Amino acid sequence: MAEAIRVRDLRKNYGDVQALDGLSLTVEEGEFFGLLGPNGAGKTTFINVLVGLVRETGGEAEVFGFDVETDYREARDRIGLAPQEFNVDRFFPIREVLCHKAGYHGIDHEEAQRRADEALKTVGIYEKRDTRFDWLSGGMKRRFMLARALVSDPELLILDEPTAGVDVQLRHDLWDIINRMNDEGTTILLTTHYIEEAERLCDRVAIVDSGRKVEVASPDELMSRGTDTVDVGLADPPTVAPTFDYDGVVESRMAEGRLEVVTSRGGALVPDLLRDLEAMGHEVTDLDIRRASLEEVFVDMTRTDSSVGGSSEAEEVVQ
Amino acid sequence: MNRFDLVGFRTLLRREILRYVRRPRNTFLPPMITNVLYFAVFGVVLGGRIDEIAGFRYILFILPGLIVLGSISNAFENASFSIFHGRWNEYIHEVITSPLSHTSMVLAYIFAAALRGLLVGAIIAGVGVVFLWLTGTPLGVAQPFYFAAFMLVIALLFASFGVVGGLWARDFDYLTVLNQFIIRPLVFFGGVFYSLDVIPEPFKTLSYLNPMIYMVNGVRYGMLSYADVDPDLALVVLTGLTLVVIAVDVYLFKEGYGLVD
Repeated sequence: MAEAIRVRDLRKNYGDVQALDGLSLTVEEGEFFGLLGPNGAGKTTFINVLVGLVRETGGEAEVFGFDVETDYREARDRIGLAPQEFNVDRFFPIREVLCHKAGYHGIDHEEAQRRADEALKTVGIYEKRDTRFDWLSGGMKRRFMLARALVSDPELLILDEPTAGVDVQLRHDLWDIINRMNDEGTTILLTTHYIEEAERLCDRVAIVDSGRKVEVASPDELMSRGTDTVDVGLADPPTVAPTFDYDGVVESRMAEGRLEVVTSRGGALVPDLLRDLEAMGHEVTDLDIRRASLEEVFVDMTRTDSSVGGSSEAEEVVQ
Repeated sequence: MNRFDLVGFRTLLRREILRYVRRPRNTFLPPMITNVLYFAVFGVVLGGRIDEIAGFRYILFILPGLIVLGSISNAFENASFSIFHGRWNEYIHEVITSPLSHTSMVLAYIFAAALRGLLVGAIIAGVGVVFLWLTGTPLGVAQPFYFAAFMLVIALLFASFGVVGGLWARDFDYLTVLNQFIIRPLVFFGGVFYSLDVIPEPFKTLSYLNPMIYMVNGVRYGMLSYADVDPDLALVVLTGLTLVVIAVDVYLFKEGYGLVD
């Protein structure tokens, strides 16, 4: 499969601050790819390098095989960007703004008007076509940002926090639209703070921190690397949690009268656990297994990365 | 420029022109009112008490200079404002993240701004014609080629300077500084209201260092067939300077000066 995005050893320095510190990753054509990271991780800087708003200090970045600097016109023609900030031309009604954007991509005026209407209908704000951006509601503004990214019919749709600050209904609407685009073959690069969003939408997720890639994997793979919690109800709960001396047990603790056993082996641990509890004289009343959420994995990975000050080992694994 | 880029260029040019055409109260009315005042006060009230200059009635003598003043101010202001406002509000990202070539971007901004300068020049000329008619002063364009050529070159030149200003500005104050403290004084001391023959040395010689002298006199030559400087030399130098500034604009866009981090 062809590569939609390929970056190698991408670096960007702002004085002493390294916004990107040797970021390397590949996004396959047609993939729904998520970029997760804490604030200041370098996600937006990475996107801005791809679209030409930031000049890299070092490394390479290609979009569909076109270098973002030397072949910038070919690269940018394939990209539709919905940035986090509302950077919209306020002088014109939104339909005209879309026509202009399409025109910059070489689409003649008549076709641009048709596409503008189509994009506005897709995101559900066609009736507002003669309104200027400032007069739209917050949710409509978010919808418009997506329409502007769609109007040039891009092969790569880059969405930087597309659902930031929107209500649940709109978030689901936007997810539907984005999913449909992806089903039709558009490659999606999504940055988000909503872990659920990445979990539900993305084929693969890259976790970045301090301008470096910490991990790339599918949400399921990432979650499988986290720790699960076996939550056990006991008829006569002890004040101190019993200890279990075998592989896979990370911690056992009492919480609100229930025994919690944190484990890296998930359900596989349960038979051993039940047998030992019975041997200790405990009567088990109920048992629940809570899988690690992507959010917990994300927090663990970014926290560990920051605290140990490096991720080279992780990078080697996923290269 | 290939066809693909031509569509993009035309789109940006159209966007830039529509921006000011749709706001005549902000773009065309102010220079019209200002020049009605100039012609009324300097041309009629004071001009009636001033002897002819170089054989021309004063109101006729100042007409070319006022056209230049209005044209270059508006050409400069349009390009600098459009680019800076786009940067300030970040909507210029719509343009610079597009597949337009840097040359197309620059030429679209320059041509649109130069057109605004020429339109304002035409409005001022119209106001001048009314006042000339009211005062019974005959008017003709003595050297149409020079008039058209100088107008075109100075509008393009200041539109090109406006691009640099728009990229350089870090705040709206920067634009005010450029227009009010640099361009306007240079034009006022550029022979709009007087002939160089009426000022003493060393100010007369120093005036030749002011590039506005050549612009004002070039347009004056086109209208009245009178100039304090050699119009051919002035036209060649100004055309060369315009090409240089346009090249600088394209270079700055390529380098992303003021546009990219």
